[in-house]
Amino acid sequence: MDFELDEDAKQAMVKAQEFVKNYFTEELAAKSDAKEEFPWDLVNASRKEKIIDFSSPWKVLVTIEELCRKDPGLGISVTISAFGAEIFMLFGNDYQKEKYMNPVLGGKATMGLGVTEAGGGSDVANIKTEARRDGDNFILNGGKMFISNGQISDYFLVLARTSPPPSPDKKHRGLSVFVVESKLPGFKSNKLHGKLGVRATNTAELIFDNVKVPKENLVGEEGKGFYYIMTFFNISRIYVAAQGLGIAQGALDRLINYSREMGKVNGDGEIIEELQVAIAEIATRLEAARNLTYKAASFLFKFNPNPVITSMAKYYAAETAVYATQKALEMTSLAGITSDLERFYRDAKILEIWEGASEIEKLIITRMILKEQRGN
Amino acid sequence: MEDEYEILENTVRDFNTKYIDSNALRFENENISEQLMKALSDQGFLSMTVQPDGKKGTDMSAYSIILETLAKSSPSVAVKTLLTNSFLSLVENREIIEAVSSGMKSGTVTFSDILAVRASTGKIVMENGKVTGTKEFVVGSDSNFILTTVDSGELVLIKSGFRIGKNYKKLGFRSIGFSSIEVDSDDFEVVAKEGKENLFKEYDQIAIPVSAIAIGMGEAASEKAIEYSKVRMAFGHYLKDFQPLTFEMTSLVAEMNMLKKFMRDILSSTPDLKSAMFLKMKALRFAKDMAKTSLQIHGGYGYLEDFGIEKFYRDSMALSILFSNEEEDMERLSGFVFGSKAGFV
Repeated sequence: MDFELDEDAKQAMVKAQEFVKNYFTEELAAKSDAKEEFPWDLVNASRKEKIIDFSSPWKVLVTIEELCRKDPGLGISVTISAFGAEIFMLFGNDYQKEKYMNPVLGGKATMGLGVTEAGGGSDVANIKTEARRDGDNFILNGGKMFISNGQISDYFLVLARTSPPPSPDKKHRGLSVFVVESKLPGFKSNKLHGKLGVRATNTAELIFDNVKVPKENLVGEEGKGFYYIMTFFNISRIYVAAQGLGIAQGALDRLINYSREMGKVNGDGEIIEELQVAIAEIATRLEAARNLTYKAASFLFKFNPNPVITSMAKYYAAETAVYATQKALEMTSLAGITSDLERFYRDAKILEIWEGASEIEKLIITRMILKEQRGN
Repeated sequence: MEDEYEILENTVRDFNTKYIDSNALRFENENISEQLMKALSDQGFLSMTVQPDGKKGTDMSAYSIILETLAKSSPSVAVKTLLTNSFLSLVENREIIEAVSSGMKSGTVTFSDILAVRASTGKIVMENGKVTGTKEFVVGSDSNFILTTVDSGELVLIKSGFRIGKNYKKLGFRSIGFSSIEVDSDDFEVVAKEGKENLFKEYDQIAIPVSAIAIGMGEAASEKAIEYSKVRMAFGHYLKDFQPLTFEMTSLVAEMNMLKKFMRDILSSTPDLKSAMFLKMKALRFAKDMAKTSLQIHGGYGYLEDFGIEKFYRDSMALSILFSNEEEDMERLSGFVFGSKAGFV
């Protein structure tokens, strides 16, 4: 058992820290938040400097952590350009990898993943978007909701129903994944305004009105879409957990800085007990969340994903981010509410909702544990 | 609840429907219109702490019902009403009382000296017939009149000659100014020589009104979540049928009912400070917990302002910071609990 990151990951962490020092200005973070503006210049700079190095998942993970530690909205905007690309990697064919995956990994295109629907939320199998075969094409009709990069992506991976479920309790069957280019006729996206947090990120509703998608854009096998998406969630949830680690670490950094300053104000340099306890509690939860996340990542990056640990990591890291930002804000009071910490507090909450709400993660954990026990 | 208070609650509800609900987003994010201030005044909501003959005095039960009910539709409007009434309870100038209670002008009280125990709240000096300097963390800094303490200890009413300084990012109550103020004025009057003591008295006075706002916010968040849980389906069932969500909500509603009962009990006689402070401590925590749970139940929709939930998540935290010094309150409450000074090493 080794609790040390390897040298490559450590270097990626340092590189990310340098990047945020140079580019993550408070002015940009505040402006992107206030105007709900996607930070294109920043994203382009990150592409130029190859901040996200997809050659090593550990590098990606620690980079997400470091960027979100400085500012969650900007950090997620920078790291989400290739959201869903792992599906190409695992299930796409050479044509799709060449045409769609490589450009996003190379920083030349932006993609998104269309799974969630207005009436579905975490209930993925219950989606209503349909893809009907029409000669050499599929005709897509329906809509998606809360889609990251929804208005700025060149293309999306979209989950749609291609055949009716064999029975009401087998709704997860008959679903397929398609690449849908945003320039296709019948495709429309509407930006969602007025989010509580992560306002620098672009979120939209997608509408498919008889969108004609060539059959070459079917990813993997028809009818196996649910399995592909769940496999992807086992990956993405670890990166969401990394966002949580970054946000919690950022809150802790700010609380420690405040405590040191207040110690000086008191004259004796002593940090009052209530602050000491808060720091200890956040730091302990953060360490536990980090260990869970790195353990989940360790399984996944060795191609042996462990859904139980992954769900534990995602739910616990998200909860830790919310807890840390709330506690830090309460402790820093007027100083906190007039600093970027209030943004961290607003940004953190989404982690308990997206990529599987915490309640869903808990159900997955229990079901998988029971399944494992039955297997034994 | 007595009949007259029930009628009052219904009146405020009708007021919300008529004046606030269709514009709630604007009142939360942009500004509270002059028309709304006038309507609040017409109902007498802006003069709860001052009688028509100018005498001070508050029917705290009525005042709490008004704030609690206003907060259900718009926490910002409730806070604006609170600030106005606090201001009026401290000012003696009849002309200004009339202007502010009529909604034509506005006034605020700076509680920052009490709220920021360690952080600097700036310096305002009174000398040679002028007040000059800066005051930090002023909620309601966009008001026409400011009541604040100066370095020599007096509470002064500044009538003109101040301007908004550094604007602070705002977590909550976005339609109400929150900034530092820069003062260079000879248009002021001393309201009280013992300024800090007067301010502290007012801070204690607002313990129940602040609790009422917190409870109102929590109640509104719970109502929205309960309604949503009855119509939103997931995995073939209504959300209300999932134990983790409903048990959590039920537990919080139980807490809310106890808080409401406790508040009514305190108000049934002359409120004592200890009970009022206990109530505030628990009501502020409850509002935050309820907002968080309600947002979670709404999922992604709760994250969008259109659904009117995210504001409770922001505002409940802002209320606990901008109208409460938790550490100071806990030290005082610990003194009550332990019978002597406690919570200091």
